[in-house]
Amino acid sequence: MTMKECQHIQLLTSIYLDDELQNGERDAFETHLSTCAACRALVDQERAWLGAVRSARPLYQAPAELRARIEKNLAESSGVWTAPAELRRKLNQMLPQAAFPWQSRWPVRLPALALVLVVLIGVSWWWEKTHSLVSGFPKPSEFALMAVETHIRRLNGKLPLEFESNSPVAISDWFAGKVTFSLKLPNYQESSGQNKLYSLEGARLVALRNDYAAYVAYRMQKRPITLVVTTSAIAAPEGGEPVVSKGVTFHCDAVNGYKVITWSDRGLTYALVSDLEERGQQSCIVCHAGTKDRDFIEGLRPR
Amino acid sequence: MSQTSPAGSSQIDFSQAALEHLDALYGFAMVLTRDRGEAEDLVQETYLRAFRAFGRLAPDSNLKGWLFAIMRNIRLNQLRHDQSGPQFVEIDAEEPDRMQVLAQAATEPHATLVQKVEREQIRTAIERLPAHYREVVLLRDIEGFSYQQIAAILQRPAGTVMSRLGRAREQLRALLAHWYTGPATH
Repeated sequence: MTMKECQHIQLLTSIYLDDELQNGERDAFETHLSTCAACRALVDQERAWLGAVRSARPLYQAPAELRARIEKNLAESSGVWTAPAELRRKLNQMLPQAAFPWQSRWPVRLPALALVLVVLIGVSWWWEKTHSLVSGFPKPSEFALMAVETHIRRLNGKLPLEFESNSPVAISDWFAGKVTFSLKLPNYQESSGQNKLYSLEGARLVALRNDYAAYVAYRMQKRPITLVVTTSAIAAPEGGEPVVSKGVTFHCDAVNGYKVITWSDRGLTYALVSDLEERGQQSCIVCHAGTKDRDFIEGLRPR
Repeated sequence: MSQTSPAGSSQIDFSQAALEHLDALYGFAMVLTRDRGEAEDLVQETYLRAFRAFGRLAPDSNLKGWLFAIMRNIRLNQLRHDQSGPQFVEIDAEEPDRMQVLAQAATEPHATLVQKVEREQIRTAIERLPAHYREVVLLRDIEGFSYQQIAAILQRPAGTVMSRLGRAREQLRALLAHWYTGPATH
């Protein structure tokens, strides 16, 4: 047994314990251990050490809410005819209990029962989703809630911009190829020469139903404004108080103290979030700063 | 798990298989971001991109490693766009003094140390490692990836993975030795 051999063994100990030595190296390593008590003790110490480190697994556990959200998103994206995740969850809970007492007596009726159950739960789910009333109006759409959540995450510093720029043209170009639609931000303010009413801060992508939506950050007199844009195929404006202005129906709501306006126009669906007064209609200035647009913004003001 | 079946069932296969790795991915996201909100965003984004790219994954690929690689790439892209955030630093140029301290601490009797160290404290020590060490310890000692798999995730040669892992473990041992035996500067 030479000192050189022992030094070589020490160098290889971690690799041996990681099971990364090749067959020949491994055999030689183990042959040495069988004849060298000092190296054997060293390997045992190292093994115990690694075992202690590995006993810390798992380091983290995903929050149940995150798991539910991802399951829901994946289920919704698995196909047009896939039942909503919530519906499947309810069925999973209910069907086994209903099946066992009935199965032996009326096996033929079980599929019919399941079908009825599916229809009832489906109707119940649809009714709850579309008809729950808050303050006299249907509750805000999933898209509106997502936009408000995005706004809040931005305020809390949890949503860094992927592209920082105050140029509408540069931001429009940045989105090209990243989203499945063409988004052209108006640059009226830059070309009008008038005092700036708002500033553009930048943009990023945000996840929405297993696709990307465009997120644009503005600021008006130090008050942040969020614009989220997706296609009308992915999100439809609904819920809240419907207000028609210039032929477009705007859905106005307040969520957690933030004003959110959602609408669809020419194949795209928009959500605008701010903490501005009334319905937050002044936030529309970010795209409609021209004189001819004043009537349109006034049309959103509460009567 | 079949990854060559028609689109619909393939996506369902993906959901079932990929969700098995949610806790592991969340752990990696926490290691990369150290922020619960950002970690959740990162996990969601990873599943989104993986879902869309799943059809291009070869049938015999390692799904877990592939998901980890996607997550790390997303995070690196985020950091490139957010220069105020934490940066990944190559570690080949460690400060000599610090390396000497670590080497001294690494000579503490392991068996004694292991007996004292509790699980929670090991977890805390791992969390205190620099990002580039934290991720390699997590990938090997917590998630059990091989050197080659880690090399693929980090896009580094396997030799770099081995040396980085060695340094990370030394520093981890030094952190724990410091807590239990006092500063190892004597």
